[in-house]
Amino acid sequence: MFRTARSKVQTWITAGAGTIAALFVAGLMGAFGALPAHTPPLLPLDTATDAGRWRIRPVRAYVSHARTYGVLLKPGQKALVLEADMTNRTARSDKAYFDVFKPDGLALADPMPMIALTRDGTLTPELHPGMTERMAYVWPLAGEAAVPANLSFGVTAEIFKPRDNLYGTPGWFNPYRLGTITLPVADVPAPGTGP
Amino acid sequence: MRIRILGNLVILASTVALSYGMQVSKPHYADLTAPIPVDGAMHDTVRARSFDVRLDKVVFARQLKTNQFGQEKSLTTSGLWAVVSTNLTATAASTTIADGTWQGPTGLRYRQTERLGYRQDMPPHGVDPGLEKRGLFVFEIPSDQIRGASLLISARQFGPLDAQARISLDGLPTGADGQPADVLPQYDLDAPQAQPPQGKS
Repeated sequence: MFRTARSKVQTWITAGAGTIAALFVAGLMGAFGALPAHTPPLLPLDTATDAGRWRIRPVRAYVSHARTYGVLLKPGQKALVLEADMTNRTARSDKAYFDVFKPDGLALADPMPMIALTRDGTLTPELHPGMTERMAYVWPLAGEAAVPANLSFGVTAEIFKPRDNLYGTPGWFNPYRLGTITLPVADVPAPGTGP
Repeated sequence: MRIRILGNLVILASTVALSYGMQVSKPHYADLTAPIPVDGAMHDTVRARSFDVRLDKVVFARQLKTNQFGQEKSLTTSGLWAVVSTNLTATAASTTIADGTWQGPTGLRYRQTERLGYRQDMPPHGVDPGLEKRGLFVFEIPSDQIRGASLLISARQFGPLDAQARISLDGLPTGADGQPADVLPQYDLDAPQAQPPQGKS
């Protein structure tokens, strides 16, 4: 019984060795990088989406020419504002939401937005588990920068690892592009203090 | 011959099973270096390594009134505000108590709010041995996280192997649905507090 099984395995290995070696060498040389990349999907706007440690629901986007939720602008600047409902899906209070949204195709002076709680303009407060809050992402732009009428934002999520590779502690790692949201961008004129 | 092969296979399988069991039952590094809890109840003095803490009162409110840079502000929340008054003392040397966490019944951890900015009676609390000090910890919590909750107080946010006071909040009056019995529409953080008399002056 063992003898026939062994000969069968030997036959399989002999016959498959060339294929395995070819795949291995091709992988090493990066041949699979030429495969068509999987395009991130378009995320829905009317329902909340789970993006790693956040559940997000974008509400609206606009260009503001005045102080928005306590974020001051330099003279001659305007600001791209994205408002979104954010819910912390994790088990502890957290504020790692800086990289969740990023506008595509805009030259940003500083890719790191100012993020304010729309309730009272608190800058970058921690969000607590299961408590949905509306947050405003504010990117200052040069005054003459052109903003398209429909702007897409990339959404970045992370994966949860119960044990990381260094300390064996749980955490969120490996950010990847979950998808894209596309929102119409209104233009809010200067008078008043923003909507 | 057959017996020896089988015996080797059994030894191999049991070794694999034993190693796998040891691997999956290995404690997390985070658990090995976690803070060491010191349990206590409400109104008891809990003695942590570098400080003593006594939980005096928990007030729930829908809004908080506070003074920020001379401006009166009313802070709202999607849940409830929980204002926890504690009495703090250092044990041996002056120290600070910086971290308060509301741990819900299922283990969700709500850290103290950062929306109040700097205040004298908010963390970090500087405490000295022998001098009692009233210290506030303010949390934003959903109302279903009150029954069975506990309060975690430690000197630092990441304090491996340091003591962490863990005060069970079982004594809070809640209704049948787990909602707190008494929720104030607004709580004024700057209202004068009724202080217990502390010696003669």
